[in-house]
Amino acid sequence: MWEYMDVAVLIGALLVTAWMVLKKRSRQGLVWVSVFSLAYFGFYRQGCICAIGSIQNLSLALFNDNYSIPLSALLFFSIPLLAALLFGRVFCAGVCPLGAIQELTGFRHVRIPKRVEAVLTTIPFVYLGLAILFAATESQFIICRYDPFVGFFRIDAPFTMVIFGSLLLVTGIFVNRPYCRYLCPYGVLQNIFSRFSRKHLTITPAECRNCRLCESGCPYDVILQSDLVTAIEKPERSLKESMSYMLMIPVLAVAFAVILYNLAPSLSAVSNNVKLAKEIRLEKEEGIKAVSKASVAFFESGKTEAELFTDEQQIIGRFRKGAPWVGLFLGLSLGIGFFRLTIRNVRYDYEPDRGRCYSCAKCFKYCPVKIKN
Amino acid sequence: MKFSEKEIRIFKGISLIAAIFTVVISLTMLFSLIQLKTINPLDNPSVQSIKEQFDRDPENRDKAELVRAMDLMARKAYFSSRWQVETGSYLLLAGALVFVVLQRLVAGSEKQTKSLLPDKPDIDSERIRNNRYLIISAGALTLLAVVSSFVLRSELPSPGRSQIQNEPIDTPGATAGINLPGDVNYPFFRGEGGRGNAGGSGFPTEWNGTEGKNIKWKIAIPKPGQSSPVIWGDKLFITGAGEGVLAIFCIDKNSGELLWTGSGKDFPGASSEEPESDAEAGMAVPTAALNNDIVCAMFGNGNLVCYDHDGNLKWGKHLGVPQSSYGYSASLLIYNNLVLVQYDSQEKILLSGFDPESGEQKWETIRSGRPVNSSPVLAIFDGQPQIIVNGNPNVTSYNPINGKELWTLPGVSGDVAASLAVNSTMVYAVSDYYKLIALKPGKAGSAAWEDNSYTPDVSSPVANDQFLFLATGNGDAVCYNAQAGDTLWTHYFENPFYASPIICDDKVWLLDRSGNMYITDADSKFILISTSPLGEHTDATPAFSDKKIYIRGRANLYCISSD
Repeated sequence: MWEYMDVAVLIGALLVTAWMVLKKRSRQGLVWVSVFSLAYFGFYRQGCICAIGSIQNLSLALFNDNYSIPLSALLFFSIPLLAALLFGRVFCAGVCPLGAIQELTGFRHVRIPKRVEAVLTTIPFVYLGLAILFAATESQFIICRYDPFVGFFRIDAPFTMVIFGSLLLVTGIFVNRPYCRYLCPYGVLQNIFSRFSRKHLTITPAECRNCRLCESGCPYDVILQSDLVTAIEKPERSLKESMSYMLMIPVLAVAFAVILYNLAPSLSAVSNNVKLAKEIRLEKEEGIKAVSKASVAFFESGKTEAELFTDEQQIIGRFRKGAPWVGLFLGLSLGIGFFRLTIRNVRYDYEPDRGRCYSCAKCFKYCPVKIKN
Repeated sequence: MKFSEKEIRIFKGISLIAAIFTVVISLTMLFSLIQLKTINPLDNPSVQSIKEQFDRDPENRDKAELVRAMDLMARKAYFSSRWQVETGSYLLLAGALVFVVLQRLVAGSEKQTKSLLPDKPDIDSERIRNNRYLIISAGALTLLAVVSSFVLRSELPSPGRSQIQNEPIDTPGATAGINLPGDVNYPFFRGEGGRGNAGGSGFPTEWNGTEGKNIKWKIAIPKPGQSSPVIWGDKLFITGAGEGVLAIFCIDKNSGELLWTGSGKDFPGASSEEPESDAEAGMAVPTAALNNDIVCAMFGNGNLVCYDHDGNLKWGKHLGVPQSSYGYSASLLIYNNLVLVQYDSQEKILLSGFDPESGEQKWETIRSGRPVNSSPVLAIFDGQPQIIVNGNPNVTSYNPINGKELWTLPGVSGDVAASLAVNSTMVYAVSDYYKLIALKPGKAGSAAWEDNSYTPDVSSPVANDQFLFLATGNGDAVCYNAQAGDTLWTHYFENPFYASPIICDDKVWLLDRSGNMYITDADSKFILISTSPLGEHTDATPAFSDKKIYIRGRANLYCISSD
């Protein structure tokens, strides 16, 4: 019952956020929505159910016949993505409790060098790929395990996560939304869907004057400057160059797929059974005594080593199957991302990058163009 | 909100102190963690050494005292470190929040200036740079892919280790020999692990035994009994006793045809005695247990027999005639390579493990407390498979491999007949006219909640992670919040329940003594899906397999199917 109540609140909060961002253009209103979301989805519902974690439920359901995903988890996964297709990242703007806690504590703004930012923003892609792989192979739910803020919501967490969450909050004062920018795996999907959004936040309510005042207004540095292209000197050469760069995309995809395939046995070490099999093998082959609690339980369980090693082989086999697909996804993402940077888009106005913009509305006040009521 | 310059200075000062405090607490906590990980007082070698000495000389009282004192000291040290770490977490959070709030106030009071960035970046040169990065990345990653193909080959397990690669593995979801409920096999009393949760879906929800609606077949059971049916593949097994006969019946679950009958007393050393028992109980109360190879049955006179699935006797043993006021009733379990027997008699109460092939007793543990009529359950907590007994007065867990006690906690007293309910975090014990108690299992476990409003006498409760359901001898069905113990709903069904409720396909299946099956949503609200009469008195717990339900009536066995 609560789950469906949560779904109703989710839809309501998404619609109010979209209205605040697209119609009212009210940053203040958005702050209040964030406060509500933090209070309801965060502290009252204790961060569960959450769209970010639902990625894992979906992965597990897709690759395991014996698990059926709860409808509420499916809805929590898909509704914010649908909202992103319609209105941009309104879920990140004011509905996600993890985004909200960072949004409310990020009030100073330190610019990160573009190259550092570019490198750090690849982490969520890797995190997403691994989270799907680990969930699909029934190894671990790393998104939930390493959720930095759920400990605050529940006033109960391993203290290492409390340290991590606290440091992330403090860092977020200066480098705003560090989790959303450099870790959030669901943000990757929001990024992709938002690029095709039907409507999206605009910096200016009317015609852009190209005054550049908004350039410093975005704490996430996702404002794309206007680019009035002059005549291209040699269009044929430019086309050839573009084609050759496009060819790099499959090269990157294949390279990543091969690397991840080769890394599969190492990655499978996150599985408890693989870890245990390695420990038992070390004891057998090199005489290093297995002392972990898992090994003690294994010896007492009466399960044979043959069974354990078979289990290990099966798990590694599943990683072998899944890892190249993760690599392919990473390679394609990186390749397409790079390729987009090599082509030139005609842009007459200053615009938010539709994929990376959190629709936080902080840029509104930097635009001198106002519409009188 | 605007603040004076003096106030802002104060805020900045306090925020600086909060920042330093946060960093100091973080470092202290990290240090504590490292200390706790590296020198865990509970693993202190001197404590271990004294314990080992005591194990070799268990009669030595001085050593026992020393072990207790040192163990207590180690535990105090451990829990004190844990307390420091947990308290530190809250201090850290408080420090971070003070810092964040004050920085917010300071930032809010600062004047916002809109300024231009020094230069508009040169898009063309950026693009050219990006072109270069794309080429370099593609080259570097291709090289990395080639290199990793050679270097990481050693990561593969060596060929010698994969000789067993083609051997089949257990049922999916199996964990150290304890399986999740499957769609087909229903191996013990109350299903897999004896936990009352059945697998599969698509079971019929409406039938009528008198009119024949959705009754696929109905056969007369050759001998009466209170035991429940168990199933492996296409074979169903049920026990019966009467007129000097103790028998196990193998029945084709699809047609109802009796395939073979195994005797419970045709083996050397078997007993023919029939001890006194409750008039309704008889000699065939315990439910049989089976795995892929064998089916084993225990009878009220202490005869234990194991047959293969084709009806060949593998072995039989007489464990001694149990003296019990209501009659012997504990059902069997099989865990990995052991047949597990909970033996309760006025003289002794035991738990034993037998080799399923030879019948050789592998271990025997003398339990403490008074005899009970409950059956054991198999569960895993903290990764440790365990067999747990609803004893009197304690709930006790044992290692199923060697019978060693893992933990024991105060449970229930009186006439303890209901078996335990378990979920992934808790164990629930109940006895009539006493109480229902939820226990957090483990050596450091404790009671989580208890209630004495509804207490079944014979029927066992059943739980999933959200809810606990039970059905009483007065005809009440109750749903509790499994974690907090709140009563979520109750419903009075008028007829008493002996059969244990089963959770299956998100529903609770409640079979009363008059043969009515009530099916409700396994949810926090009472929603009655259907009521189906069998037209015959029922005390045994139903079995679920392949979209079919098998119910033992007083005289007949029914297969209920909508096919």
